[in-house]
Amino acid sequence: MTVISSTKDFVVRTATYKGGVGHASWILHRLGGIGIAVFLILHIIDIFMIVLGKEMFDFFLFIYHQPIFRPAIWGLMFGIFYHAVNGVRIIIHDFFPSTFRYQREMVLGAWVIIGILVVLTVGMDIFNWITYAGSH
Amino acid sequence: MKKRTLKIKRFNPTKDKKPYWQEFVVEAEDTDRILDALNHIKWYVDGSLTMRRSCAHGICGSDAMCINGKNLLACKALFKEVGDDVTIEPLAGLPVIRDLVVDMEPFMEHYRTVLPYFISETPPPSYGERLQSIEERKIFDDTTKCILCAACTTSCPSFWARGEYIGPSAIVQAHRFIFDSRDDGAAARLDILGNADGVWRCRTIYNCTNACPRGIEVTKAVGEVKKEILFSTL
Amino acid sequence: MKAIGQMPRPKSGSTFELLSWFYMRVSGLLMALMITFHLLWMHLIVGLDNINFSVVADRWMYPITGTLWRVFDLLLLIFAVTHGMNGIRFSIEDYVHNRSWQLFLKTAVAILLLFLLFIGSYIVFVFEV
Ligand code: SF4
Ligand code: FES
Repeated sequence: MTVISSTKDFVVRTATYKGGVGHASWILHRLGGIGIAVFLILHIIDIFMIVLGKEMFDFFLFIYHQPIFRPAIWGLMFGIFYHAVNGVRIIIHDFFPSTFRYQREMVLGAWVIIGILVVLTVGMDIFNWITYAGSH
Repeated sequence: MKKRTLKIKRFNPTKDKKPYWQEFVVEAEDTDRILDALNHIKWYVDGSLTMRRSCAHGICGSDAMCINGKNLLACKALFKEVGDDVTIEPLAGLPVIRDLVVDMEPFMEHYRTVLPYFISETPPPSYGERLQSIEERKIFDDTTKCILCAACTTSCPSFWARGEYIGPSAIVQAHRFIFDSRDDGAAARLDILGNADGVWRCRTIYNCTNACPRGIEVTKAVGEVKKEILFSTL
Repeated sequence: MKAIGQMPRPKSGSTFELLSWFYMRVSGLLMALMITFHLLWMHLIVGLDNINFSVVADRWMYPITGTLWRVFDLLLLIFAVTHGMNGIRFSIEDYVHNRSWQLFLKTAVAILLLFLLFIGSYIVFVFEV
């Protein structure tokens, strides 16, 4: 019955439909959610490596801490905070349906909170990174 | 009068393998409606252009289409609102019959499943009408305004992804009866809407609310139905 | 119509989707708080580059705080895995329309869910230095 016949149609329609902030938020929420789920799998497996003992575990973390992965980690920080804060916004809309009138304001507020959290964590990472690199 | 370009997605299943874009240049005022331009093309330029329209005053719900990437009624959208150059496509998520005409049957099928008619277990009063207070009426006033244009349902990514999803319009129609103090069919309707392809496919995206030409607070109605099912079940 | 919130209970049908919807909100809300704490702790207090075996071992081995950390980590694990895999299920139902593929992927996700819960909680319960 669905007639967005192909995946391509669906992607094009999703990318071009002008639905407003809610539409864009949903796209980010879903893409971010899938990304976080993939990372979650890796994260549980890497913590599981602790059974291999101190040397192996620290070796795995050493790989994680390579500079190439840093941007990916920061992207992940943004993704997680986005998914969390936007999710709370959706929960508020769901349980207090009349708040939809403040959707734009709430999206703006969400971005402010996300911004603060990302700046805090990523900023601290960069600060630590510099001082850590300096101390070795 | 200004020259304006209309880029229209054409498709004639007896001739074309795939839809294609065709451009028309028309002269129109700022205050002209998109429907005026379409009518001009159909009547004086290319009679094969096919679209639905009837009342031309935003009340029959037959000319919803995707105009510049947004679902609108062609008879309510003015050039000064949508811009000089306009791209027009049929509604997404429904089979295209020809040009801008889509098959509304899947949409109507969902509409019928929510029992969109008055159900009462009590006989009508012997004299006069079934009465209702102003407050009782206010609860569902908004959702009585729906004209079944399908602009909301075909703006919803959940519906594009999955045609089995009942869609915002059917939920609006159900809301109109569920919250009517004279109606007794709420349990049956909540049952239908509580299914896997009912209200739970809604992700609170608000495309439907933005699309509705009647200004119905669609997502709010969906949210009220969700809460009703949740609290009557838990 | 009965009073709002007190309508007759829907009769038939499964309540699975309802519960799944509700669970996504509840776990999401709790996790929003827990994950913010988790990330702020790891990035602000501990520092990303300082994380190593002893950091993890220390936090789990202290008598009382160790137990609290283990409870916290276990809850976060359960919420994250169930919420995450349920979200993947939504996406599969939305974008994979071939019946057999859908069944295959959903089964795979269910197995993955059990696997992750198993190895995750194994560590939380069993870890000793
Ligand atoms: S709720 Fe609005 S957009 Fe949806 S079918 Fe009714 S009138 Fe059209
Ligand atoms: S022609 Fe009737 S709604 Fe536009």
